[in-house]
Amino acid sequence: MDSSLIIELAINGALKGLMYALVALGIVLIYKTSGLANLAQGAIAMTGAYVTWAIAYGVGAPIWLAIPLALVLMFGVGMLIERLALRRMIGQPVIMAIMLTLGIEIMLRGLLPGMFGSAVKRLDIGIPQAPLFVGDFLINRATLIGGSVSLLVILLSLVFFNSRYGVVMRAVSDDQTASWSVGIRVERAIAIAWGLAAVTAASAGILWGANQGVDWSLSLLLIKALAIAILGGLDSIVGVLIAGLIVGVVESVATGLIDPLVGGGTRDIAASVIILLTLLVKPHGLFGREHIERV
Amino acid sequence: MKLNRRRFLAATAATLTMPATIDFASAEEKVIRFAMPQDFTRVYTFVTAEYSQGQRDYITLVNERGGINGYRIIADVSDHGNDLPRAIEAYEKAKREGAVLIDPLSTPVARALVPRALEDKINMVTAFSGRSDAADGTAFPYVLPLSPNYWTQAGLLVDYFRQQDKDLKGKKIVFVHIDTPFGREPLPILQVLSQKLGFEFQAFPYTPPGNDQSAIWPQVRRARPDWVMFWGAGVGQTVAMSEAVRNGLPMDRVCSSVWLSESDMDVIGREQVKGVLKVEPCVSGKDPKPVQAIINEVVSKGKGAGPENKVGTSYYNYGVMMGAIMIEGVKKAFERNPGGPITGLWLNEGLRSITNFTAEGMIPPMTVTKEDHQGGGGGRIARWDGTKFVPATDWFAANQDVVWAEIRKSSEEFRKSGK
Amino acid sequence: MLYRRAGLRHTRYEDERQLWPLPFDRGLVVLVLVVLVAAPLLVNRLYLVSYLLPWVIWSTAALGLNLLMGGAGQIHLGYGAVMAMGAYGSVHLVRAGVPFEFAMVGGGLISACVGIVFGGAALRVQGLYLAMATLAMQYVVDFVISHVPMISGGTQATIQVPTVRFLGIPVAGDLPTYYVALIICAIVTVFILNVGRTSLGRALAAVREKDYAAEIIGVNTFKFKLLAFWISSFIGGVAGSVLAVCYLRAISPDQFHIELSIQLVAMVIVGGLGSVLGSFFGAALILFAPIVLNNLIGGIADGLGLSISTDLRSHVPLMLYGALIIGFLLWEPLGLAKIYNNVRNYFFVWPFRHAQR
Repeated sequence: MDSSLIIELAINGALKGLMYALVALGIVLIYKTSGLANLAQGAIAMTGAYVTWAIAYGVGAPIWLAIPLALVLMFGVGMLIERLALRRMIGQPVIMAIMLTLGIEIMLRGLLPGMFGSAVKRLDIGIPQAPLFVGDFLINRATLIGGSVSLLVILLSLVFFNSRYGVVMRAVSDDQTASWSVGIRVERAIAIAWGLAAVTAASAGILWGANQGVDWSLSLLLIKALAIAILGGLDSIVGVLIAGLIVGVVESVATGLIDPLVGGGTRDIAASVIILLTLLVKPHGLFGREHIERV
Repeated sequence: MKLNRRRFLAATAATLTMPATIDFASAEEKVIRFAMPQDFTRVYTFVTAEYSQGQRDYITLVNERGGINGYRIIADVSDHGNDLPRAIEAYEKAKREGAVLIDPLSTPVARALVPRALEDKINMVTAFSGRSDAADGTAFPYVLPLSPNYWTQAGLLVDYFRQQDKDLKGKKIVFVHIDTPFGREPLPILQVLSQKLGFEFQAFPYTPPGNDQSAIWPQVRRARPDWVMFWGAGVGQTVAMSEAVRNGLPMDRVCSSVWLSESDMDVIGREQVKGVLKVEPCVSGKDPKPVQAIINEVVSKGKGAGPENKVGTSYYNYGVMMGAIMIEGVKKAFERNPGGPITGLWLNEGLRSITNFTAEGMIPPMTVTKEDHQGGGGGRIARWDGTKFVPATDWFAANQDVVWAEIRKSSEEFRKSGK
Repeated sequence: MLYRRAGLRHTRYEDERQLWPLPFDRGLVVLVLVVLVAAPLLVNRLYLVSYLLPWVIWSTAALGLNLLMGGAGQIHLGYGAVMAMGAYGSVHLVRAGVPFEFAMVGGGLISACVGIVFGGAALRVQGLYLAMATLAMQYVVDFVISHVPMISGGTQATIQVPTVRFLGIPVAGDLPTYYVALIICAIVTVFILNVGRTSLGRALAAVREKDYAAEIIGVNTFKFKLLAFWISSFIGGVAGSVLAVCYLRAISPDQFHIELSIQLVAMVIVGGLGSVLGSFFGAALILFAPIVLNNLIGGIADGLGLSISTDLRSHVPLMLYGALIIGFLLWEPLGLAKIYNNVRNYFFVWPFRHAQR
């Protein structure tokens, strides 16, 4: 096979993978602090994109103002979801909470297109469409910017987790009761985790929305994000980064290599196959921590 | 807390036990019912809102002018969300209310309803969607595409390439499509044509819904095609076009099926994709006489079914076109059987006797017969010039022999195995 | 007062262990059965075909899923794929000439065997991971079905279901399809009702509560989880084949998508994990809520003269559907079955209010 094609696919795939990883980052954040997988992450990304569109085009604010405003709003939305919905689920088995996030996802998927109209919307954040050639390889400019932004955010979150408040959140994710006993405000930490997860989801939504237009299909980012989160380990941010790269590259290259043999659509199941393989071989992911259940 | 819970449960119980309200027309009223359960929320969201608006506006226009022979047309619009139980429920409700025509605008729903429509003798119009082999009226008497199906569209495009290039021998045509039955439909036609006309043909499927095609288009670029056809819907189309631009492909060699409209262009940036081509089954824009009539008599009086800036877009005009054909079918039905009774069979006879109908110049002359439910398969190619779609050719039909061979092959199979 | 318990003296162990010890309960069950069997005479055709028939079929599927989720405590987000395999398997068998009864069982077997491959791999992990594995299974099965033309039926990708005969009667038209679905549902219901009373049911309960504790007392958790997966997938496959033959009559791969799986999980949870009645209630609510809400919104809009944009109107059912799920999980996590139990307990001591149960 054409090696330069593979390299090009790999580069673009890595960048796309980073963009997916941004959504996965939110899932990991929430899993670390609340212990559940947030199936509404894709829908929150979609909400972020719609809110940005509404501020930029509905109200008419310039885009450099709309984006920070939208992010602040989404932080509030994340905290609101946690406070109203998840807090009541504290004693319940985790499957109930996961179903609750699923219900939130369905509701958001109905609410946002219903409010703003279901036609695909344009979100222009100023990325030129002209191709960027590096030697013989074509790099998609939008993907490049998207991937770099994601990388930046992920690295930022790594830095954050080493800061003082990051240590607080790590303590909360480790053992809630112990954190209470040393005086950490656990509810506050969880609320902030949800807010941050919503912000990362929203920024992913904005990047993807600029790429493909804003409509309900943004909520489908969830599946890829879950694959990345599981591969990397549900409670590891470094894992999200590495897994994002792996999933992105594997998907792109598989499309190039295997599609002609199978007749198409391997990108579809690349994510699913990755999930299955991970669960078979190393259930807790590359960098995840094993949960030891005590009797 | 207990009070909240009780209230919530009581409210839920009350909501669910409230009888479903159905709009029954009284028996003496002279109405003809068209049922239009369509997908507003799931897959076809990109087209349904405008299409339905066009359809309803045209029907309002007809009603405002006094209906047909004193009969009012009622359009029952609802949402089935591409979900089969809801679609079947909508169908059964329509049947009970005496609808004579149903337009689901959804391929999976149409496919599932085919056995029922054939049994219950309700006309099912599957515009640009549904089963392509339903063009064979002898096997599918009650399923009427009334529009160029995907095979015809592919045939039109290939013929346009031939017209431009004079000879396609040795040329390379690339087909980027969504990896669903809808996307794969033109494949057999293209393969037959590639053998017949001597061009090289390569297909690149992408995962539905198509928001990530970044691995496809570099391959397309490297294949150095002479012509690129992209076949998707909604998000798939806009992403395909932006990827094509980002990969530096010349826009005037890139073309699509009918599912391309101004709103899609808006998403990418109108100037960016100047030159892209598409198949047009009817005239777009506000110029055609029916659209002008709608603007004057319906929209300006505030009776429009949707936002005014959508009047005249491609999908809106598709709705107007289909509405016009359906109304023409009603007129013809009255000509043949003026006394009624208004049943599916009555309308079926009318629809199948449409002859040389042009909807006041909006569509190529269309003739529907007992054998040909497609209406002749006429269309033309249009080019995007940055602000609107401009016709690049005249109305023409092409490669219908290849298309009909495929249609017959498929309908034969249906005849043998189905029902 | 209605559920008179006074004077009930059992003299045999069998009487003590019966499913419905109270005569009121028994009467209720008989009444429901009579109503369901006589439904074609009582309700008009629209309700029969678009409400009762899908309800019966979806309840069958929900019962199968409930065995796995409520009985064994495992999450399964890929039940749509299980039904798809059953549907496609049985339709292909029928087209090959196998009688419908055997084709149904065959479809169930195919689902069970394929399902167990994925299930076995995923049973090493718990809760959330199992959910992800079954989700992955949904996509993989979808992909395989739609990409192998032999299975999916060529370019048109729709397979018509030929007329079949069930116990000698051709299954076509409203009545036979309804009765076939009803019979299958009844068989599955009786099975699930009795599972809890067998050693299998007790083993599953032990596994559900704390699987390592069950392991310690000698219950082979892996074997029983696998068995639960197998039985549940079998029921799902049979439900899928009934769905294909009686309701859809023409199957294509995009009918068994992830939304169906999510719908079934919602039915089970809203209905109440582990409860047979809950599966029926949950199926009814999830199935009919969008339809009823659609009609309701339409009625209100027309009645009050409001013109809500079609866009908004068509999204309202989705919004309210999600809100219903959230509402139930927040306020009654044990589902509709618990609500029914509450009502029942209330009437136990009515007109007294505070007597201890």
